[in-house]
Amino acid sequence: MKINGGSERLTDRADELSALYVLTDRLYRAKSNHEAFDAGLDAIRDGLGCRRASMLLFDEEGVMRFVAWRGLSDGYRQALAGHSPWKVGERNAEPIFVSDIADTDEPAAVKDRIASEGIVGLAFIPLVAQGEVVGKFMTYYEQKHTCSIREIDLATTIARQIGFYLERTRAEEARKLAEDELRASEQQFRLMSEDVPVMIWTCDASGKCTNLNGMLREFWGIESEDIPNFSWYPTIHPDDAVDIGARMTDALATQSTVSVQGRYKNCRGEYRTLLTVARPHFSAKGQFRGLIGVNVDMTESEQVEAALRHSEERFRSAVEAAPSGMVMTDESGRIILVNLHAETVFGYQRAEMIGQGIEMLVPDRFRSSHPVLRGTYGSRPLARPMGAGRDLNARRKDGSEVPVEIGLSPIETSEGLMVLASVVDISERKRSEAQRELLMAELNHRVKNTLAVVQGIAHQTFRGTPATEAHAAFEGRLMALSAAHNILTQTSWEHASLDQLVADSLQIRGTFSNRVSASGPAVLLHPNQALSVALAFHELLTNAVKYGALSNEAGRVSVEWSRTDLPQPRLNLIWSELGGPPVSSPSRRGFGSRLITGGLAADLQAKVALEFQPQGLICRIDAPLPDGMLAQ
Amino acid sequence: MTSLSGTRVLLVEDESVIAMMAEDFLTELGITVIGPATSINAALELISANDIDAAVLDLNIRGELSHRVAEALRLRRIPMVCATGYGQGAAEFARGAPIIDKPYSEDKLARALQMALHGAGGTNE
Repeated sequence: MKINGGSERLTDRADELSALYVLTDRLYRAKSNHEAFDAGLDAIRDGLGCRRASMLLFDEEGVMRFVAWRGLSDGYRQALAGHSPWKVGERNAEPIFVSDIADTDEPAAVKDRIASEGIVGLAFIPLVAQGEVVGKFMTYYEQKHTCSIREIDLATTIARQIGFYLERTRAEEARKLAEDELRASEQQFRLMSEDVPVMIWTCDASGKCTNLNGMLREFWGIESEDIPNFSWYPTIHPDDAVDIGARMTDALATQSTVSVQGRYKNCRGEYRTLLTVARPHFSAKGQFRGLIGVNVDMTESEQVEAALRHSEERFRSAVEAAPSGMVMTDESGRIILVNLHAETVFGYQRAEMIGQGIEMLVPDRFRSSHPVLRGTYGSRPLARPMGAGRDLNARRKDGSEVPVEIGLSPIETSEGLMVLASVVDISERKRSEAQRELLMAELNHRVKNTLAVVQGIAHQTFRGTPATEAHAAFEGRLMALSAAHNILTQTSWEHASLDQLVADSLQIRGTFSNRVSASGPAVLLHPNQALSVALAFHELLTNAVKYGALSNEAGRVSVEWSRTDLPQPRLNLIWSELGGPPVSSPSRRGFGSRLITGGLAADLQAKVALEFQPQGLICRIDAPLPDGMLAQ
Repeated sequence: MTSLSGTRVLLVEDESVIAMMAEDFLTELGITVIGPATSINAALELISANDIDAAVLDLNIRGELSHRVAEALRLRRIPMVCATGYGQGAAEFARGAPIIDKPYSEDKLARALQMALHGAGGTNE
């Protein structure tokens, strides 16, 4: 502002400095862009003596917009908003000074609008932040105006000051935005982590707990406000504490990821197995801020795993302790498990069998066909004896063979179908069976020889006497006893089948095949029962031959029996004669009839009835059957 | 049934009462009895010293299986009947010769001898 003419230059200089000083100060203190721009316009007015001026900035769409002005009409601003010699972000923009708008190449409409506002000269000063054009300020002159060097210097200085201000506020805005975003994201993280069904925690660089999410607070039974005073170390199981402490300390010291599992006591006093995975986290400047960790409760899966492990251990120890040789093979027939006993049976060390094909234990002559049999088993895997009905042999390490019984059991596993073979060395049993057979044969021989001696004595006793008939009856009874003995011998004196006893006693397959019929279900008798029944049948048969249905050419004998199982197993047998001579009750009870109604009834604990009916003799036997003999 | 009358049969039986009875049975059938031998050595001597048509041989002579007697008979192609208390357990010993179970009747003995001599006319029950 010109105060007086004599010291114009000096006064101007002082005004410029004062205006710049005031601008700097006001920009520094500005609380808003409005204050800052106002300060800018004041500085233009005071420093450049320009009453009309404006401040414009690119908006978000890159359009130049008026943000502050002096001495401009609304219409002018509306018409010329967006007019800019520079594009957004342009670098090295230079001020433009127009002394008379009429001399430019601007469109006539623009020239007219400017002229109608009473403006002739204009200056465009770019506002630059971080080297890029962000806006401009304009000075307007009502006469043709050529800017002096001083004016240009001052204008660019003002523009630079405003540019600095804009730079500073933009940086501050960016920082504030970033801070807000960080705060929001941290808030969001806390919110999110708070309710997830996972245990999440953070600690600072010293390992001090800084945050526990809802699930973890619930685990330890603490409130949010307790967190600053909380330490999880005392909740670690004493056996795990040293290891976990060392690993966490190491992770903090090396600022690295850590994964550690251990038992922690929860608020109910139970130890739970937690797997902790924690990662270091850093501030934006790369400063280590602590660890963020997630804990996963492994207790149940640990228990499942432990149960699985125990069950496998139990299986192995059961197999190990089995009193027979146990050999387990995989799908390809490779041996994957053997027990101690198998070493004894096969004569191999365990390590010599594991991993080998099962065929190493098969006698040479069956070795080539064995894989086919294995395949057959694989297609129908059932627990069953191997090679039922055949004598099996196993090959020992020394090449010798040993008689065995083998039971096969399929075992489904995730690795395919395993087969567990239980191999029993039966050479001892075979030996004792042979021994037993030998003894039985010897005993038999002696008994039969004794019967023959009795027969011989009778022979000599009756020889030359008139008792021929008695001799024959005696010999017949002796032979019946001997025949029953033969049947029992076949089963080693365990039991006799009624069917066979009837057939042999009554010579159904021999002499009387057309005259005697027998039918009934399978019934097994005890040895003493069998002997009584055989003797009884002999008497009945002898009687039938002498006096009954077999004494003529036409009569028949039928033997039928049935079995009832409830309430107690009983045998019901009926001997009936038909077509013989008419029958009358004998006047005297002979040995035969006593043997039947007395001896047989006693030996069988049976109800025995002899009915001398005119059309033929009927004998009814109703006897309890021994338990346990029916199933066979 | 072809008559057994006149055939010469060696009887090997160590139990004297049984031997006497068997001798009676054979005699009643018209058979000339060679023996009875009550030991293996006696049986072997009789075999080498006599003309024999057939033999009734007890399997067990004084606790010893009479294999040597059976061998001597087979060498001379003399048919035999095995009398035994071992029952069908004696099949291996008999090698197809008829077996009769002790105690046996005269009738059974006759049928077994028929079978041994003529290959038919009896059963080996």
